[in-house]
Order: sequence, then C-alpha cells, then structure tokens
Amino acid sequence: MTRRWLFFLLSILVGLVVGGIYGWIINPVEYVDTTPDTLRADYKADYVLMVAEIYQVEGDPALAARRLAVLGDAPPLTLIEQALRYGAEIGYSDMDLVKLSRLAKAVAFWTPEATAP
Amino acid sequence: MKDERGPWYLITGFILGVGLGLLYSWVISPLEYVDTAPSSLRADFKDRYRVLIAEAYAANGDMNRAQARLALLADEDVNRALAIQAQQTMAEGNFPEEARALGLLAAALGRLPTAPFVMAVVSPTPYFTISPSTTPENTPTVTPSPVIKIVPTHTPTFTQLPELSLTPTQTATPKPSPTPTPTLGAPFVVKDKVVLCDPGLGAPLIQVWVEDVDGKPIPGVEIVIYWVEGEEHFFTGLKPEIGWGYADVLIQAGVDYTLQIASGGEPVSALVAQECTTAGGNRYWGSWNIVFAQP
Repeated sequence: MTRRWLFFLLSILVGLVVGGIYGWIINPVEYVDTTPDTLRADYKADYVLMVAEIYQVEGDPALAARRLAVLGDAPPLTLIEQALRYGAEIGYSDMDLVKLSRLAKAVAFWTPEATAP
Repeated sequence: MKDERGPWYLITGFILGVGLGLLYSWVISPLEYVDTAPSSLRADFKDRYRVLIAEAYAANGDMNRAQARLALLADEDVNRALAIQAQQTMAEGNFPEEARALGLLAAALGRLPTAPFVMAVVSPTPYFTISPSTTPENTPTVTPSPVIKIVPTHTPTFTQLPELSLTPTQTATPKPSPTPTPTLGAPFVVKDKVVLCDPGLGAPLIQVWVEDVDGKPIPGVEIVIYWVEGEEHFFTGLKPEIGWGYADVLIQAGVDYTLQIASGGEPVSALVAQECTTAGGNRYWGSWNIVFAQP
C-alpha cells in the first residue's frame, strides 16, 4: 500500500514537471499586444530620449509629460531620472544627457506638485 | 490479498500533476510581461512609437538613429508603414504636425539608396541592442517607381453628372508655421500640364509629379494648393506604390485652384475640373496631371 502511494506521488511529480515544461517552454504565454510600460530598460530610456529630443525643439513640458505617460503610472520625472541613470551607465553622449537633464528640469518645474504653493 | 486495481492510479496521478503544473505555469506564476521589445507592442502603441520616432527625427535630423529605431518595430516595409500612417493621419486631420513628421521621414527614407535595416544594425548611434526577436528576417529594398504613366485598371459604371454648380466642401488647413522642405536646388518649372481623362480614377484629382534635373522623382516635396476659401499642403512620396515623386489631391468640380511648390517656383493656375466623355457618351470629371521639373 505504501508503495502504491509512493508511485502515485511520483506520477503527480512527473505530471507537474511535464505541465511546467509545457507551460513555460513549449507553449508559454506569448508576448503580443504588450504595452510600453513593459519595455526593456534600454528601450524605455531611448523612448524618454526621443521625448527629450522633441522637447528641445517644441519646448512644451506638458506635451512631453503626456508623451511619457504612455510608459506607465510612474511620474514623468521618475522616468526621466531612470533614463538619465541608465544613460550615464551605458555611455550616452554628453549631448543626449544634457537633453535629458533639460527635460527633467522642465518637467520638474511643470509638475503641479512642484509648482503648488 | 491481491490488489487488482491495476496501474490506473498512476495515470490519475500523472493527469493531476499535469493539471497542477499548468495551473502553476499559466495562472499562478506565468511568464511575466517584462523586458519586452517594441516589436511586440500593440498596434496602436506601435503607431504612437512611430510618430515619436518621426518627430524625434524632425527635431534632430539623425537618420541613422531614426532607422535604428524604426527597425525595432520590425515592420515588413518600413517606408510603406510610415507612408500609410502619414496618409491616415493626414486624412483624419487632427494632428497635421504628426502627419508632416511621418511624411518627411518616409520621404527622407525614400531618398536613401540602401536598405534601411542594414544601416540600422551597423549604426553606432543608438544605445539599445536589437535582440534576435526584433531583428527582421528579411531585408526589404526600396525600389522607387519613376513611371509616370497612368493606366486605367478597371471599367467603372457611369452615371449622369449633375450640373456644374457644385459648392466646394474642402476646408482650409492653415499651417501655423512654415514647413521645412528638402534642399531642392533650382526652382521648379512646369514641364507638363494636361487634362487626364481616366474614368478609373473615380474622382477628379490633381496629380503632381516632381522630378529633379535628371528626371528622377523627388520625394518629400511640399506642395501648396490654393482656392478661394483656403489652401492645403501635401507632400510627394506618400504613395510610393505609385512613385516617390508623386502626390495627389482631390478637387471639387467648379472650383478654380492654383498649385505651387511650397519652396517657390512657377505657380499653376486655372486648374478647374474638366469634363470628359467616354466612347459611350457618358460624362465624368477628368483630372489634371502636372509635372514639375528642375531646369
């Protein structure tokens, strides 16, 4: 009887392994129709850099913040700071880091929390 | 006592285990949506991404960077995707600046002699790495179509036209700021201006072709059309399937239009939809075919 239980538990274990392999490797959840907040860090940083490049010409922090809102719930300033940190780590050019810094400064002054009395 | 229940308990355990395994891998701890690539974005977010790339290009003029970014979206035909989105945005009319940015980038890409994806991979400018999942499998090539011949492809049915007293419904799209156009060299002159009786076009158009001094099509040229109640701007190269130097605009019968390359040059006036007749005596509105060229 004990042997039967042992084999029973063993078969459950084998089933678990097979189910795990199928669910994680053979037929995992597919990456389709994702949202920008799930982007890898380098893509996110480049997205923020694009916004900074456009801000250089447009000079509209509200519009820049609206563009950054696509990247998730984090405040725009946090997203820019993350991009700045990432950019400094992987060697963004000084010119690009300056663009990000200018955007950060503009968004910081624009943010309602920062401008409220 | 001999147990005669057989091995069914093992199969039961196995099925139970598979069920638990799937429950864990699909529900309790599925693969998380993190570190995704732009190519996996939902279609509307891809469109937003494309607009951002175009606007960034308009701001910094860095073509290598724009190409590398576009490659991340893994479009089968980058130019076509840009041109289609530019046309759609322009047709919607809500964001003319976005349409202009998309159109200019499409036109700039159309002028390149080499395939964009190849340059994107070797470009030192971008800071991101293109993961295998986002690298396009094939390398599309840009094949400009210099053909200026229009051949009707189908025979439509005709209806009797109303009297020539139509009221124009087009509205003006004023531009708040001047639109930058490519450096074009000498001012354009009108090389050809003919009425095109082609029932296959469906509606009266002004078709414009812009060529350089060698007769090669020039994309990205801004054209302005004026009429009594307003004006409209459009660009060559947004319909690459017809030609990189091609652009067209719908016109209303009974309205007098004047057309000019935005950067200057010879204006073409008295552009009124002309009546054409089929061999069977049916009337329809003809189009104008105008060719601008550098002398």
